[in-house]
Amino acid sequence: MTATPQYFELPANLTAKKFIARLSKKVDLHIASQQYSIKTFYDSFDWRLYNAEKICEFTHSQQLSQLSLIDKNSGHIIASEELEQLPRFSQQFPEGLFRQNIAPELEMRALLPLCQLPFEIYRLNIFNKDQKTVLRVQIDEYESLNNRVQLIPLKGYEKAHLKVVNILHNILEISPSNCTVLNQALKQQGRKPKDYSSKLAIKLKPDMRGDKASKLIYKHLLQAMQVNEAGTIADTDTEFLHDFRVAVRRTRAGLSQIKNTLPAKVVAEYADFFAWLGQITGPTRDLDVYLLSYQHYKATLPLSLRADIEPLYAFLKLKQVHAQKELSKKLKSPKYNKQLVAWEQYLNESLAKKGKAGHANQSIKAIADSRIWKVYQRVLKEGNAITEQSPAEALHDLRKTCKKLRYLMEFFQNLYAQEDIKRSIKALKGFQTVLGDFQDYEIQELSIKQFSEEMMQQNTSSNTLLAMGVLVQYLDSMKCNARNHFAEQFELFVQAENKATFKRLFTNKA
Amino acid sequence: MTIIASYNIKGGVGKTSTAVNLAYLAAQHNYKTLIWDLDPQGASSYYFRVKPKVKGGSKDLIAGTRELDGLIKATDFENLDLLPADFSFRNLDLVLDERKKPTRRLKKLLAPLNKEYDIIFLDCPPNISLLSEAVFEASELLLSPIIPTTLSMRTLEQLKKYIKDNKLKHIQLLPFFSMADRRKKMHREIIDTLAEKHPDILQSIIPYASDIERMGLERMPLNAYINKSRSVEAYQSLWQEILTVLK
Repeated sequence: MTATPQYFELPANLTAKKFIARLSKKVDLHIASQQYSIKTFYDSFDWRLYNAEKICEFTHSQQLSQLSLIDKNSGHIIASEELEQLPRFSQQFPEGLFRQNIAPELEMRALLPLCQLPFEIYRLNIFNKDQKTVLRVQIDEYESLNNRVQLIPLKGYEKAHLKVVNILHNILEISPSNCTVLNQALKQQGRKPKDYSSKLAIKLKPDMRGDKASKLIYKHLLQAMQVNEAGTIADTDTEFLHDFRVAVRRTRAGLSQIKNTLPAKVVAEYADFFAWLGQITGPTRDLDVYLLSYQHYKATLPLSLRADIEPLYAFLKLKQVHAQKELSKKLKSPKYNKQLVAWEQYLNESLAKKGKAGHANQSIKAIADSRIWKVYQRVLKEGNAITEQSPAEALHDLRKTCKKLRYLMEFFQNLYAQEDIKRSIKALKGFQTVLGDFQDYEIQELSIKQFSEEMMQQNTSSNTLLAMGVLVQYLDSMKCNARNHFAEQFELFVQAENKATFKRLFTNKA
Repeated sequence: MTIIASYNIKGGVGKTSTAVNLAYLAAQHNYKTLIWDLDPQGASSYYFRVKPKVKGGSKDLIAGTRELDGLIKATDFENLDLLPADFSFRNLDLVLDERKKPTRRLKKLLAPLNKEYDIIFLDCPPNISLLSEAVFEASELLLSPIIPTTLSMRTLEQLKKYIKDNKLKHIQLLPFFSMADRRKKMHREIIDTLAEKHPDILQSIIPYASDIERMGLERMPLNAYINKSRSVEAYQSLWQEILTVLK
């Protein structure tokens, strides 16, 4: 088997042929093949493979189309697959090592092309005196990047490998490359890896004016909407819409929670616009969630009912297609475009020397401290008021308050000691899970019930309705489960240590 | 990991060609394959242009002083590695004899390669010896090339008896005709009669052919220098039969 390859970057003026000519003076080499190929790098929009230290490249030539998953750090090929065309989702790949290695990272995200490089591949074999190949060499001659040499050592012939490394180093003065072709190709496009993440990292300064900091936060969120817009309209994968909606929701939370930093008239106008955006994106997202949960739903059913639930998938898919079509139409509408452009223009307008809104001139740190502390107090109050007899609405209200708190903490996180704020966000996140589950299971239970009524009108088989009934029962039991865990999770969240951290962070008191 | 031995009590029956060509085909079919040249003559090593030399010789190898993995050499072909022969392998019997449970030794030495290889071919020297007993212990399939002559048939029967007497139930014997010359009346007759008498003999027949003999000149597996010939087809058909057994 072959060992891990080693990569070298040739100087700008050194062509493959010149390199071969120089190397052939030092070793017995044979050109095994030369072919024109196109290399395309793939990843999800949010760089899931790269984040997992993997690079996916598809090399296409007349003879061969090969997909390789490469360890970013060592260059070692983790898995490769001969494929004519690339499927978009991991579950569409043939079963095997490649799929096993991408599925856990990609989950529901589509594999999308990042950049494409035409190049000429030269494959050389280095021989010993018995004409046995002791080292393989591949030269990739790019049209737009420096050429690359890859030494592929062969097991048991380590000396031959070292000899050639020495020749490259000492005689041809070529050093190992420490930058991947992907990084260089992206650089040419003015991009860099991980240039998108749904996580917020807004660089605020504590003494920044309230209105300026607010605009900066909204600009970040607007950008998140804009970069996810095309994928949402095209329904490339479900997460474009998800991230789009998160940015909308965060903007709404900002407008309502970062109070009095922008003029009330502006806030009122755009609060309406973003509420509308939240509303028009809701139905598609809900259906996406049902479709993403479908396999899980199916697995919860007794074996004898699993096949019976299948019409539900077709029903949901049809609904999703309709909802998506409506959504695309609205996201291409003049209303949407006009308002979004106006919002962007407003955010880019330079600020007056003195802001008009009440807290516009206050430091953002003071605003953040006060807002987070206030909302945190509200969470405690609402949480403490919940008893076993409290209605579901009380939990839903608390869930919404927690969400506001979470968004505020995320907007302002770089104003605080990183370790403390991260720990506090994590504690809140843990608590939010139980509230989220309670709400999600309740809504899903109601929706499945409603779908079954609609499907009954369409003469769906009684077995399918029976299976859906069992599913409703499962969702109900999960909802009750979440409700039963509420007290325990709330206790965890309000434990003394967390309380002390919140106090230290947001009131500056120990 | 499946261990397949290419073995016959008799020499010169095509054991090495079998191991080399089948290992090549296995590798071509994406099985991670190793061929271990156990014959001190080192013919497999020669065919792959690998020096018949093992650091520390048979003593260190059998003692397990060096891990097998460190002695393995890549061949010129994707997915195919070779553990070369060494002249000291002529003493393998003696070295084995010095160990406790000598017949289990090969199996133990090969066990760590389980993750790295799908198939291991053992190219064995002729004779029934302590080494062959260790080979039988380690292998699941015993591929035995037989030349269609009366003498060869006698050795097949001897081998069958040996397997039966020693209760080697884990091993499946796969005899097949090798170096068969259809022009020779005797070969034709023996093939026809024996196929009936021994239904366990595989269908594929490896011909006596000059292109197989050329392996020594080309120093590579048959299929690596010829795309299509009767011999190539015969090995491919033999490989398919083995695949059926493996599945």
